[in-house]
Amino acid sequence: MGRNKEGIATSSKRRHLTESTMTIRSHRFDLILGLVRRNFILQYKGSLLGILWAVLLPLSQLMIFVFLFKRVVPLKIENYPAFVFTGLLPWNWFSMSIISANSLFISNRDLVRRPNFEPSILALVNALSNLLTYLISLPIIFILLATAGKRLTWTVLLLPLILLIQGTLIVGLSLFLATWNVFYRDLQHITGVAVMLMFYLTPVFYSLENVGREYGRLFTLNPMAVLIQSYRAILYEGTVPDGSTLLVAATVSVTICGLGYLAYRRDIQNVYDFL
Amino acid sequence: MDIVLEAEKVSKRFRIATNRPATFKELFIQRMKGRSSRSADELWALREISFTLKKGRSVGIIGHNGAGKSTLLRLICGLGRPTTGKIQYWGKIGSLLELGGGFNSEMTGRENLIMGGILGGLSKRQVESLQNEIIAFAELEKSIDQPVRTYSSGMYLRLAFATAIHFDPDFLIIDELLAVGDSRFQQKCLDRLKSFRMAGKSLLIVSHNLDQIRAYCDEVLVMEEGRILMQGDPESALRFYYDIMKKRTESRQAKMEFVQPSLPIQQGNRYGTQEVSITAVRFIDGDDRINDHIFSGSPLTVELEYVRTNTVSDMACTLGVFNENNMKCFEAYVSSILEAFGQLPEKASIRCRLPELPLLPGRYYINMGLFPTDWSFVYDHHNGMHFLHIMNESEMPVNVSGVVMVRPHWTVRPQDPS
Repeated sequence: MGRNKEGIATSSKRRHLTESTMTIRSHRFDLILGLVRRNFILQYKGSLLGILWAVLLPLSQLMIFVFLFKRVVPLKIENYPAFVFTGLLPWNWFSMSIISANSLFISNRDLVRRPNFEPSILALVNALSNLLTYLISLPIIFILLATAGKRLTWTVLLLPLILLIQGTLIVGLSLFLATWNVFYRDLQHITGVAVMLMFYLTPVFYSLENVGREYGRLFTLNPMAVLIQSYRAILYEGTVPDGSTLLVAATVSVTICGLGYLAYRRDIQNVYDFL
Repeated sequence: MDIVLEAEKVSKRFRIATNRPATFKELFIQRMKGRSSRSADELWALREISFTLKKGRSVGIIGHNGAGKSTLLRLICGLGRPTTGKIQYWGKIGSLLELGGGFNSEMTGRENLIMGGILGGLSKRQVESLQNEIIAFAELEKSIDQPVRTYSSGMYLRLAFATAIHFDPDFLIIDELLAVGDSRFQQKCLDRLKSFRMAGKSLLIVSHNLDQIRAYCDEVLVMEEGRILMQGDPESALRFYYDIMKKRTESRQAKMEFVQPSLPIQQGNRYGTQEVSITAVRFIDGDDRINDHIFSGSPLTVELEYVRTNTVSDMACTLGVFNENNMKCFEAYVSSILEAFGQLPEKASIRCRLPELPLLPGRYYINMGLFPTDWSFVYDHHNGMHFLHIMNESEMPVNVSGVVMVRPHWTVRPQDPS
């Protein structure tokens, strides 16, 4: 039989059977890399400062926070610039990805409707291109820490793990949002408001110590709060993050990602009909 | 023979959501009122479609707009799932649907080409090794590193087509594509499709261009209202298709008040709903005189007058020259008078000037037709009604046959004995 590759599209599923998984995997890799690259280039193409914008945005936020919480309402946190920045970068990664996730399928209609294209890849691409913005500004944290006389410890090596947990969370939420926003456009407004409110309920510009014990526990239910605490632990404090809360956050993230994928799988066929 | 694609009793239902909630607010209100949000009208776009595509074969799908052709192609490409039935395929699908879909106008041609290749299923390295061939095919060597937004629409399509066709798929799905670029480039595309078929690959073509269907397909499916009405060799399928068109025209005509055709018929035949009616046809020679005898190679202007009812706002028009054996010598069409010339007057004459008509002397028919722009039935079609006599200006070349006037010069030249 000259059938080296098989595809089957039934009313319930579609899979490639005997095509070697290796070539699919390396192809997926090229595809994701290419799309991330394109996303990233497009973001800054045609602007005079180009990629500098990726750094200018968090730096301007940093200046405002430093002014507000060292002058206007002093929070008495030492090395405040480094402290805020370790929380700000992951928060920006989260909020930018989540807000743009709403329009993923709608604005990439051409791509989604291409045969053999797996739309869920867009959620991953979106998360990765925003991660790139994060990583570009990361050296600034090191500079801020160095000027405060703080030294990096080996705990920095835990960074990929925490990035992975946050990435899982973002991809999961993005799959929900990208799929359902096709049917209910309210979702983008709701996420806008929710992300803004969540910003205040996440210890980005303040510390959990400012919150106090009785409410502090509630914050562990917010995976973003736990993740930001963990980033602070490994970068700013040079300690190992709290394992149990991080485990909870990881479990929540993986669950959300799984549910998001199921929701996506369930409704993607309707997305095709609807787009 | 190996089967590359099989559709088994595929049906597709769309819900036309007349009162589907578009926002949570509406969803909430509907739920509160106790109405189901699913009370939508249903539309069966496809009903029990079954067919197979074999390796090395090329199948055409024809049908009027709304017959379900595009829905079928989209399901085959995996966009949306059949409501019932299943579609199976073996091999890599290439499609020329959504040509250039996924191109970004800010990126350069080269970047889009590479991305397009990866999207089409190649690895980055494979696309890179193919890129020079693709650029050469698209003839974009000079502008490949310019952003795509600076391209003309022809350049854009050339790049999209060249990218799409170099993926080496096992079968290729084509939706109404063969209109890319100038005629030379079109020919190149058609040649490419030919060599694709020679390599034992399969084609699935949806087209309104019946001549192309006839030339490129081994088998044709005729679709109407979501069903396959007929499946067979191109000639009989096309005959069947014309029959449907005729029947539609007749049933439409039956529903309307009878309009007396205002042109007497001496020979040939005429049919159509007469919503637009050809009231006069005139042939005008090079000296601006009405004349149905013209010299071979001299200019001809065909003028037709029509009257339309006010239900018609746009139409398509064809004009063809046929010889006495009913062989098509030449045919031209305008697919939308509205688009080409602006608003359609209620009563007007359409002129078509042919700068020269290099036909062999003899008797020819000028056939013409007016159609709705989706070509689904006929307003008025004159077949074999109007004669044109082509005469010989100078001496008739001897020992010539065919349709085109060519004056051969024969010579014999002895070769050197060495």
